[in-house]
Amino acid sequence: MKNKTSVIGITITIIILIIIVVVSNLGTSQMQTFQTVVSKLFMPFQNGYVYIKNKITGNEQQISDISLLKNENSSLREENSKLKEQVRELEILKSENNTLKEYVNLKNKYADYNTVPANVIERSYSNYDKIIIINVGKNDGIDEDMPVISESGLVGRVLSVTDSTAKVQTIIDTASTVSATISTSEESILLKGTLSDNKKLRATSIPVETSILQGDEVVTSGFGGIFPKGILIGTISEVVNTKNELDRYANVNPATDFSKLETVLVITQQ
Amino acid sequence: MKINLKKFRGILIIILLFFIIYFLQINFFSWFTIRGIMPNVFVIFALFLGLFAGKKLGGICGLIFGIILDILIGESIGFTGIFLALIGLLGEYFDKNFSKDSRVTIILMTIGATVIFEVCMYVVKIVRFHTQIEILAFIITLLVEVIYNVLLVIILYPAMKKLGYYIENLFKHKKLLTRYF
Repeated sequence: MKNKTSVIGITITIIILIIIVVVSNLGTSQMQTFQTVVSKLFMPFQNGYVYIKNKITGNEQQISDISLLKNENSSLREENSKLKEQVRELEILKSENNTLKEYVNLKNKYADYNTVPANVIERSYSNYDKIIIINVGKNDGIDEDMPVISESGLVGRVLSVTDSTAKVQTIIDTASTVSATISTSEESILLKGTLSDNKKLRATSIPVETSILQGDEVVTSGFGGIFPKGILIGTISEVVNTKNELDRYANVNPATDFSKLETVLVITQQ
Repeated sequence: MKINLKKFRGILIIILLFFIIYFLQINFFSWFTIRGIMPNVFVIFALFLGLFAGKKLGGICGLIFGIILDILIGESIGFTGIFLALIGLLGEYFDKNFSKDSRVTIILMTIGATVIFEVCMYVVKIVRFHTQIEILAFIITLLVEVIYNVLLVIILYPAMKKLGYYIENLFKHKKLLTRYF
């Protein structure tokens, strides 16, 4: 009896955990999927209700040849499974094509630098670090402090290397600081990762005389000797003014989407 | 040389568990998140080892596994090892003072262990890397992480208890009689 209660408790906890995870990560597009699932659950009952209602009101349609429909249905199923297989094959080809395209686009975009392409193979397990592991290392000419970029913009710097992998500290890590400039001025500012929103950077040390507006692009300043000048970091999403003008800061949306980051380039020579 | 096969088997089980937990944490919990916040299964694992295998093995395993994690994906090497070892040591302290047969005490131990580990790691991060202090954001993240860890412990408790007593028999069987009778 106690065991049964325990199993029920665990099952309920698993269900609660799944619900929390799913609901907390739902976007508007995923809500549509949720609606579809719910509708699929309820539709049979709704259809049954309509069927009974039509029966009562005399609106039902006679199905003349059920066996003909069954045959047609089975041939359609067969055709459908063949099409599904073809779609799967096309999906694989499409994904391979996309990866190759990404490499080519990246190479062309940063043609001035010597670069090595890489794939992200692992991400940090901690909620407080934003480290990634890429599949290139010493054997590919990678060294510490080399800048890492993506098609959209700056990713981070190489923290340490092994023969075949490299650890990269991303710019959204709270321990990362990048010297940057706003596209409209030449003044340099500092960009740091924040814990409150790991999809945003915080721009600090903004000179009092610098005018900074929402939508301004932020690029690397070239100071510090790690990142080359002019690599896009992101755009200003919000300027927060404080009583003391020296303390004002801005939130920056990184150009790189770190949650979907798969392909990167390591700049080996600037 | 006499090899204690029982203990050898126990160590093999612990290593296997570490690999399973590592792949779960890196590959599964990195997307199965609560608003982007992951649980920390390694803390639960270190606590589990301390509770059932004793402070010696809990501490040593916590240290070794923490260093491996630091080497593989950490920002600096050593701190995860030190604090996971601390959780392993705390495990035996908890075991001596509280009953591990109660789900509630295990849940409270998990809360304590997660808070201690993450606070220590955050302090190190602030001191070592001069990270900006964000108390509120840290508390919110920690709170969600603690809830997630507790939910996992509730789910895994029967399996943890069964496997835990098996490991305890392998490593601490001589002490059982004097402790409970």
